[in-house]
Amino acid sequence: MALYNFKKIMVVPTAKDFIDITLSKTQRKTPTVVHKHYQIHRIRHFYMRKVKFTQQNYHDRLSQILTDFPKLDDIHPFYADLMNVLYDKDHYKLALGQINIAKNLIDNVAKDYVRLMKYGDSLYRCKQLKRAALGRMCTILKRQKSSLEYLEQVRQHLSRLPSIDPNTRTLLLCGYPNVGKSSFINKVTRADVDVQPYAFTTKSLFVGHMDYRYLRWQVVDTPGILDHPLEERNTIEMQAITALAHLRAAVLYVMDVSEQCGHTLQEQLELFNSIRPLFANKPLIVVANKCDVKKITELSEENQACDRLLADRVENKMKGKKVHDVLNRLHLAMPAKRDDKERPPFIPEGALIRKRAMEVDAPKRRLERDLEVELGDDYILDLQKYWDLMNEEEKHDRVPEVWEGHNIADYIDPDIMKKLEDLEKEEELKERAGEYDSDDESEDEDMQEIRVLAKQIREKKQLLIVQSKDKDVHGPRMPRTTTKVERKKLEKEMGELGLDMNDKDDSHYAQQARRSRSITKKRKREASAPPTSKTRSQSASRPPRDQSGIRDPKMAKKAKKMMKNSQKDMNRQGKKGEADRHVFDLKPKHLLAGKRKSGTNDYR
Amino acid sequence: MRIEKCYFCSGPVYPGHGAMFVRNDCKTFRFCRSKCIRNFKKKRNPRKTRWTKAFRKASGKELTVDNSLEFEKRRSIPVKYNRDLWEKTVEAMKRVEEIKQKRQARFIMNRLKKGKQLEKEEAITEVKKNIHLIKAPHAAKQMEAKMVQKLQEDVDMGDEDN
Repeated sequence: MALYNFKKIMVVPTAKDFIDITLSKTQRKTPTVVHKHYQIHRIRHFYMRKVKFTQQNYHDRLSQILTDFPKLDDIHPFYADLMNVLYDKDHYKLALGQINIAKNLIDNVAKDYVRLMKYGDSLYRCKQLKRAALGRMCTILKRQKSSLEYLEQVRQHLSRLPSIDPNTRTLLLCGYPNVGKSSFINKVTRADVDVQPYAFTTKSLFVGHMDYRYLRWQVVDTPGILDHPLEERNTIEMQAITALAHLRAAVLYVMDVSEQCGHTLQEQLELFNSIRPLFANKPLIVVANKCDVKKITELSEENQACDRLLADRVENKMKGKKVHDVLNRLHLAMPAKRDDKERPPFIPEGALIRKRAMEVDAPKRRLERDLEVELGDDYILDLQKYWDLMNEEEKHDRVPEVWEGHNIADYIDPDIMKKLEDLEKEEELKERAGEYDSDDESEDEDMQEIRVLAKQIREKKQLLIVQSKDKDVHGPRMPRTTTKVERKKLEKEMGELGLDMNDKDDSHYAQQARRSRSITKKRKREASAPPTSKTRSQSASRPPRDQSGIRDPKMAKKAKKMMKNSQKDMNRQGKKGEADRHVFDLKPKHLLAGKRKSGTNDYR
Repeated sequence: MRIEKCYFCSGPVYPGHGAMFVRNDCKTFRFCRSKCIRNFKKKRNPRKTRWTKAFRKASGKELTVDNSLEFEKRRSIPVKYNRDLWEKTVEAMKRVEEIKQKRQARFIMNRLKKGKQLEKEEAITEVKKNIHLIKAPHAAKQMEAKMVQKLQEDVDMGDEDN
């Protein structure tokens, strides 16, 4: 059974407030920034989160309301009846039911829209879905407006109910209105109930506490009861009736002897008889009030009431089933002897020795500490003496740990000698098989010669490369045939290559290599016309450019003048030729330094 | 005291050197120097980093399966100290080490034999192709001719004498 604390029920907000709170929370607690260009899954996730967050919030708050409010079946029947009287059981249950339905509807809405959101393909669609979802949830809640208002009122009233413990010792005051019940409770307890001359001053139950015989007693003050049948009773009277019906208390029926309440003794007696069935199983005291002389009598009546209640309670407890249960469980079992053998309790020897030692106060064995104290400065902690080895003399050996970069501990093996033997045998076999013979077969002379030659070739190659790199090339690279080869050099090179150059004094080396591009075919001597010197000289020598096509010296002079003219500018600027566009000074200081005075950017 | 193995390069980590890294799953990694640490942090695979022993073993450049290598391994069952066992072990260690070195060297030598063969062939082709850089092709003939002439002269001389 859940424990309800009527004072700690959460405030039930109005529908409008509820919606506002939740929506503003959604806005604050979820991320707010989303752009069209985000990846679609990110957009979806963003909006789904909002929907789920809102749903979660609603769900949480509604669940809390549902759990906070007491279930009429779970609480004490006194309270259940009281709440029924005050708030109408049906209405109450209906309101809570509506809240529950609303909660489920909200969950369903959220689920549906989250499912739909998975198919949203643009920011706009997802946003509309989210709007729709939130809108629907809020509409659902708007419809619960009346339930929420009702529950809020119930909560407020519930928290103000007096905390009557239905299980402790209670004294219940009942009787006609204005007979003096509230005055009595004011006198007896620290309660401060309104006492007024008009009837129905007390409109609900009030509780006071008092001490008697070192025990706490509750005194419950009820509103007055009038004499009419049950169906016609109003809410206020019903409270009193409920209290009477459910609280196991001593009932003090207060009667006004002086008839100051406005009702005769006869009427009061009639009332007493009519509600008598409610007094079954309860100790009853009829209190004659307002006898101004008889204060002491009142007190004595009170005592009696308490005593009688106590006695009643104790009796009930004893007769209750609980005691029997406890008694049944207590049973001392003794095993029955099956033969005559004595079986005394077993005490181990060590325990006996220790006990004896304790009594005799024998000296203890020698400790390490004693040794330390004895030796003083010479003491060295030697843990190796406790080692458990096969030979006692080896205890103080200095154990080698490392050899040449290897850990000895990695090699330790009881069968190491056997393994080593196997290895040695293997090694022997291998050696015999010739694995370890050095195979430096002496190569035959040919091969050696070849190697020598190869080495020379490689060296020569490198030399050629270096020479070619070292050449100073002035000007364009001309083909090899233009360079004149000196005789000495040729002879030297050929000599190095192994040819015999000793008797070459008479030989003619000079042969001009062909410089024409086309390969001239060798014609048969008979077929061709005998070569004349003119044609030869003509073909061999062409007129230079500045003389070809010029008729007379006058023209030549003019041509030369034109040439010189065109070269004037270039020469003045120190250019190498037409194509020389090199700028020696890209940023001349005299043009770029200084302030901008009146001038243009063309030449500043 | 123990000489550990570096996780990355498999080199020895002497006491007082290197560093140890402990991962969240409680696996420890020892390193011999910061070179190995930095490579490890860069998530390089030692089996692919050419200068490590792991690479050499994984790519078959060094002896991996051999009886002499089985002697050194971490044992999980400790053996109680026994003086003559320890002495014998130290002696055995020395001998095993010798054999191991021999075998490893032999393995590498075998691997490099192919290179010698290739070298030979290369020299032969080099000579065949580029002999003209050192010796003129003509020179041999000249020499021959000279030889022939000399012989002829000798023969003539001989005839004359006779």
